Amino acid sequence: MTKKSISRRAFIGQASCAALGSTAFLSSVLNMGLINTLAARPHIIQNSGDYKAIVCILLAGGADTHNVLIPTTTSDYNHYLATRGNLALDKDNPSEVLALPGTVGDKTYGIHGRMNRVLDLYTQQKLSFIANIGTLVEPISTKAEYQSNAKKLPLGLYSHSDQIMQWQTSVPQNRSAVGFAGRMADILHDMNTIPNVSMNISLDGKNRFQTGNNYNEYSIKNNTDENNVGFKGHPSWWSNSGAMNAVKNGAINNMVEQEYSNIFHETIGRLTQQTSESIEIFENAFANVVPLQTSFSDTNISLDLKKMAEVISVRLRLGANRQIFFTTFGGWDHHDDVLNQQNGMLPQLSNAMAEFQDALEEIGMADDVVTLTISDFARTLTSNGTGSDHAWGGNQMIMGNAINGGRIFGEYPSLAIDNNELNVSDRGRIIPQISVDELYAELALWFGASPNDLDYILPNLCNFYSTSGCPAPVPANYGPIGIFAS
Amino acid sequence: MRISLCLYFFLVFSIGLWCQPDTVVIGFGGFESVAISSSDPASNPRSTLDQSGYLPNENAAARFLSQATLGYSLSNIVEVTHTGIEDWIDAQLAMPIGTDLTSIVQGYLDETFSALGTYDGASRYLYWEYSWWQYHMTNDDLLRQRVAMALSEILVISEKSNFGNSAFALADYYDILLRNAFGNYRDILQEVTYHPSMGVYLTYTGNPKTDVSQNRYPDENYAREIMQLFTIGLFELNNDGTRKLDGEGQPIPTYDNDDISEYSKVFTGLTWADGNWFFGGARNDTSYLSDLVMWEEYHEPGVKNLLRGEQIPDRNPVDGNADISDALDNLFNHPNVGPFVSKLLIQRLVTSNPSPAYINRVANVFNDNGSGVRGDMAAVIKAILLDEVANNCNSADDDTFGKLREPFIRYFHINKAFNASTLSGEHKNVMRSIERQFNQKPLSAPSVFNFFQPDYQPIGPIEERNLVAPEFQITDSQTITGWINGLYEWLINEEVVDVWQIYDGEPESNYLDEVSSLDFSPHIIYTNDDEIHILLDRLNLILAQGRITDSTLAIIKNALIQYDNESAEDKELRVKLAIYLIMSSPEYLINR
Repeated sequence: MTKKSISRRAFIGQASCAALGSTAFLSSVLNMGLINTLAARPHIIQNSGDYKAIVCILLAGGADTHNVLIPTTTSDYNHYLATRGNLALDKDNPSEVLALPGTVGDKTYGIHGRMNRVLDLYTQQKLSFIANIGTLVEPISTKAEYQSNAKKLPLGLYSHSDQIMQWQTSVPQNRSAVGFAGRMADILHDMNTIPNVSMNISLDGKNRFQTGNNYNEYSIKNNTDENNVGFKGHPSWWSNSGAMNAVKNGAINNMVEQEYSNIFHETIGRLTQQTSESIEIFENAFANVVPLQTSFSDTNISLDLKKMAEVISVRLRLGANRQIFFTTFGGWDHHDDVLNQQNGMLPQLSNAMAEFQDALEEIGMADDVVTLTISDFARTLTSNGTGSDHAWGGNQMIMGNAINGGRIFGEYPSLAIDNNELNVSDRGRIIPQISVDELYAELALWFGASPNDLDYILPNLCNFYSTSGCPAPVPANYGPIGIFAS
Repeated sequence: MRISLCLYFFLVFSIGLWCQPDTVVIGFGGFESVAISSSDPASNPRSTLDQSGYLPNENAAARFLSQATLGYSLSNIVEVTHTGIEDWIDAQLAMPIGTDLTSIVQGYLDETFSALGTYDGASRYLYWEYSWWQYHMTNDDLLRQRVAMALSEILVISEKSNFGNSAFALADYYDILLRNAFGNYRDILQEVTYHPSMGVYLTYTGNPKTDVSQNRYPDENYAREIMQLFTIGLFELNNDGTRKLDGEGQPIPTYDNDDISEYSKVFTGLTWADGNWFFGGARNDTSYLSDLVMWEEYHEPGVKNLLRGEQIPDRNPVDGNADISDALDNLFNHPNVGPFVSKLLIQRLVTSNPSPAYINRVANVFNDNGSGVRGDMAAVIKAILLDEVANNCNSADDDTFGKLREPFIRYFHINKAFNASTLSGEHKNVMRSIERQFNQKPLSAPSVFNFFQPDYQPIGPIEERNLVAPEFQITDSQTITGWINGLYEWLINEEVVDVWQIYDGEPESNYLDEVSSLDFSPHIIYTNDDEIHILLDRLNLILAQGRITDSTLAIIKNALIQYDNESAEDKELRVKLAIYLIMSSPEYLINR
């Protein structure tokens, strides 16, 4: 593994933004009882049975989440109806909109009619929504602020490649190679007991979310098992297949372990070496997976989540006290045919999440795993015919027994085109009022990051919390979302 | 005089450079477009100076072919040592294109019809892959094939989309890229824009003008991606590909969302040629064979503001095609296009991190081929491949030079290097299980952002130097083991292709004749322990242009000699394992 100059001590030394002594932020941390002493942490964890995992589902392409969570209070719904035009769902038709139980403040909301299982999870207080969340460098509260040059906007706003990257990196002012989960691994990798096994497991190959400065993800597929996770060997009917496999695989290892001066050689050599070093451990772990009783749908997203549940079930064999999983459910770039497409895709997502939650209950891990959805951006509120275009703030889901379920965090914005301080375009593009940083900060603290680590994990965080180390005051409506606060 | 000086300096300073294999290659020494080799009659008479100038030795020829083709055999290498690089390119430029993919697809349909008396039962969804494979295994236009593949990773459409299993959708689109590989980039933009597959992929077929009463606005998808990905990119560029900076040292965006909105108006009014209503879909899979047509009543009327202060006039009557032409001209003539497209092509063919000087040289040719023509692809390709950076030893020994070979190209190389042949001479390959090993096959990227993005940085020494390595974006523990296990399947298990029936009930005897087998026979005579270095040298040349170092060859040899060498099968296994290990080695995987 590459060892760059970063060390935990360096982070501690540099910590300023989220330093102790903060106000709202700190008190929420204290409430959660999550302040760890750094020195103690590794010792505490190893034998405590303390396990936590974060599961991130990237809805790639930019899901039209204003048709996932729909305002149904009359005045708000009328705005929705007028703005969305032929893309509007009928709140009185339960095959289009399912009413969420209860009220939020004095308002009511519904969810997409094909998301029955999500409705159940919400009702059981195992799932909540986060309204109007998106990529932000710093808070932007009004259209005027957006239009003035006074506020820093995310780079390449409305572009897939940038926004999908920024949701993963949470550093929207840069094009950064490393992401939130990768930086978490940089800090927290040592909480796991087998150094060669990555904290980050991907079901979708390389991704920025899980790329750290010091650690790569480990990628598997939803059909990976003990028979295919490693290098294919000579057939067992060879009398000496074991020895010859050792020769063959030994040669590969010897080649990749050489020192290379060319940086491409070195990079591919190191990646292969890392892979090779993990193989035996994963073979052993997969061989010990007990088949889940929970049945999963035959969709990629369900099968990805099933594989994650299996990995979680053998976490001890991977030496894992902390894991972050990532996968992509693609195909949400609905410039066309958004209504029909979502009718097909949202139930896949809804079922997969519920099946995963069921499986976690089955293996007794539902208290320890939090699942979230992210997506490039939400889409224009107005139609382009049968679809919608790239926009900004939208609605995401978070699931798990550990969270405050059955809630809508944040404030659902007005969807009016006119006289709407948060709308920056005729097309209906809403400025997010919760930053990705705020969500990730709470996840990080729940996961076991120290407040002192947050300025490394989330470099922009102090733009959203008023803490003693931060240079400028921030609007009062920014601060902890309250996902985990009880 | 300069030749001898160069020779002198080279001989003096090249000792110990491992770019120099057993035959000495002389670098370019300022002689553009001329490959220079020393006379070394004892070891390699072909390297001798002849009347046409210096010729590349075998390693130099192989290196060139690794940049200019998707795969090549020893005979191609020998051919280049005889013709020289520039003459070989010229011959390739002059070579007629093969039977187009669309006709090959039609052939499978015809075959189905003649067998079954109906098209029902045709396995249409395989025909795109089959047509691609048949074309590439049976035509010698190796340079055209490489350039088309590169273009397919810039002007991306993907079967992971909504083409309703129409092989024509993919084949006919790929035909644009093959046909125009040496044509003009403006023509490519024109053909791509009007192709129904791009229209479906980036959702502007049946895209109507603004209707404010319904809050309905033109689809912005194509407007954005044609700018971001196909022509100008996100930031204003100097001709050498570096970003222009504003007064505060910040890069300057090429466009903003208002510009997107303006261009989105341009791409309205296009729909299927055989459609009878504007919003209809494809009527059948041959709908993809006709360009999109303009329905003026759905095209946004009025002025559209283009970049750099240009404007589409308020045409009366509305003329959507003229508007599109203006907009494509406006983008094509943007000064970013030369450096933007040149850099992408260099990255696909030669190296991940071309220097500004290299980009500048190629962009100059893009801007003007010497006869005042902008966008001449043949000239651009020549400029890329004949550039000294592509050929000389300095670059090969530069620790930041090179690129990860694309996995699909590695796979294809196996088929060429070991002369994959079939009994019938027809070649079929669905490439599906192959794709699963490493997440790549033609026109199957996960999104319009290709399999990998041009600015991808793997962590470690590449990122630390702020360099990029796009192909590493699909290089993870899964695809690394997938590649190595794929090699085992293709080489050792001899399952080199996926072949399925082209129609329900096609007799096995039909398609088994089209299953490839590889030919290891020329190499088998060198498997004895005392000759195995000859085997490895040959494979090193054919696969890795001699770049596998002695220490790696020693590791491989040490493994091979532990395997039996008694029977013909043993000997063949030694050859196969030699290939397996070479193609698993970092020194092969990185092309330089």
